[in-house]
Amino acid sequence: MAHFQRNEYEFEIILDAPQIAEEALPGNFVQILYDQSFNPYTRRPFSVFHSDPESGRISILYLARGVFTKGLRDKRPGQKLSLIGPLGNSFQPSTKPNVSHILVAGGVGAPPLYFLAREIKADPSKECRVAVINGARTEKLLVAVEEFSELGAEVRCTTDDGSRGVKGIVTDVLKEMLEERSGEACVYSCGPTPMLRTVGELCVQQGVNCQLSVETMMPCGMGVCMGCVVKIKDSSSETGWTYKRSCCDGPVFQADEIIWD
Amino acid sequence: MGLNSQIKNTSPDLSVQLGKLRMKNPVTTASGTYGFGSEWADFYDLSELGAITVKAVTVKPRLGNPMPRTAETPAGMLNSIGLQNPGLDAFLSEKLPYLRNFDVPVIVNIAADRIEDFITLSERLDATEGVAALEANISCPNQACGGIEFGTDPVLTRQVIESIRKHTKLPLIAKLSPNVTDITEIARAAEDGGADILSLVNTFVGTAIDIRKRTFKLANRRGGLSGPCIKPLALYMTWRVASSIKLPVIGMGGISSAEDAVEFLLAGASAVAVGTANFVNPMIALDVVNGIREYLISQGAESVREIIGTVR
Repeated sequence: MAHFQRNEYEFEIILDAPQIAEEALPGNFVQILYDQSFNPYTRRPFSVFHSDPESGRISILYLARGVFTKGLRDKRPGQKLSLIGPLGNSFQPSTKPNVSHILVAGGVGAPPLYFLAREIKADPSKECRVAVINGARTEKLLVAVEEFSELGAEVRCTTDDGSRGVKGIVTDVLKEMLEERSGEACVYSCGPTPMLRTVGELCVQQGVNCQLSVETMMPCGMGVCMGCVVKIKDSSSETGWTYKRSCCDGPVFQADEIIWD
Repeated sequence: MGLNSQIKNTSPDLSVQLGKLRMKNPVTTASGTYGFGSEWADFYDLSELGAITVKAVTVKPRLGNPMPRTAETPAGMLNSIGLQNPGLDAFLSEKLPYLRNFDVPVIVNIAADRIEDFITLSERLDATEGVAALEANISCPNQACGGIEFGTDPVLTRQVIESIRKHTKLPLIAKLSPNVTDITEIARAAEDGGADILSLVNTFVGTAIDIRKRTFKLANRRGGLSGPCIKPLALYMTWRVASSIKLPVIGMGGISSAEDAVEFLLAGASAVAVGTANFVNPMIALDVVNGIREYLISQGAESVREIIGTVR
């Protein structure tokens, strides 16, 4: 295990987890527990940021801002964490040629999108555009900015306070990008729910394929507790919708199947 | 020590008999924390448990409550899932057949808003192969009507248990709510209604507030509190019921280690259920079985039955 502070709040933790590294796909997550802490009591889900089957390592990016993540911050090399994973489904990048892949990240929603961007870039048969819109309230809360640039993706940052990049929100930039696009686009997004909703609604309006990785509470992560459900259209149900579990039916859902309350 | 006593001491008898329900060890799972079992088969052989208690089944599928449905609390969690489940037909055709692959008794938790529905569930499950016992959920705190209301009134408790009793020959477990003034009064009503076994406790009603948003953390405003934080309360209630009612008791509430489970056995529970701890450590139910075995060896006990109810 290695542990780095990347800026005021952002930390990266690299873990020896060969089985998870072997299987992990972009969008998958792991349930983390340390020390049998009692506050909080249940595990916390973290998306995989980077996974390397050869070295058997995965890495997680997080912002140390709450009780759980501040405790995680104090872990040192040699100490053990308990992980269950990889869990959940994954992003399904469009396989069409010449499609523009637009990745929209909000705060700590960035790590799984970086994993996705790497996968898309790693496929030499796809000479396609990868654009990233990375947004947060303020510069200090932007995550993985440098990595996206290093991949050769077009990166546009937005901050609510204008401390970095465009002053505004990610959907302002997304709107422009969709209007200016030539040819087909596919949007992938992860971040806070209000942002996902705006991204999703914009894409549905414009008829753009859009995959959203949702954020919910996730006490078990294994499909058992039913505490992480999302309202999903279902024509076979009397109500026209059903609750699906974001931990195992998701966390990635098509924007046009989600019902927002 | 002679060879004989060594052999004996390495394998104490863990089996327990609760009325007509026989379990090879005293450990089951708490309904709602174990789904329908399949998720756990990746971690261990389900046949290693004394019994599996599945998530509540209702006559018709239920969508459950709006989100957010859970909130973290120190040493526990709140939930207001609202009994989301696929309904009786889907349980029988899709869930139960899988569990028949294992050599483990299946306890089916049944929930309903109306006595008629409890009767439908009992009749259909009584006629089904592979069901070892029914657990009447008269204590779910997350339903608008029924559920907990049955389990907080002794007259209703007796009525609903009596009605189920008439329609099943399966061992009948009454799952009791802790949200009452005197749990022994409800326990006695369930006994009078014809229950064979009592299981306790279900979750404690509680809530949590988001002080920044100034809203309840649960969409349903309140939920059921579970986890280690409720263990002393649940243990006390288990001891009170076990020492004043003749029926065998399945004790539960915050059990997250073998030591916790042994406390419930010493307090008089004939079996125990592991609940929310399953979410934190998927191996915990099996760990508890093994830990009880080690405890018995350390105490020189040949059978788990020797220690049940020995702290009075």
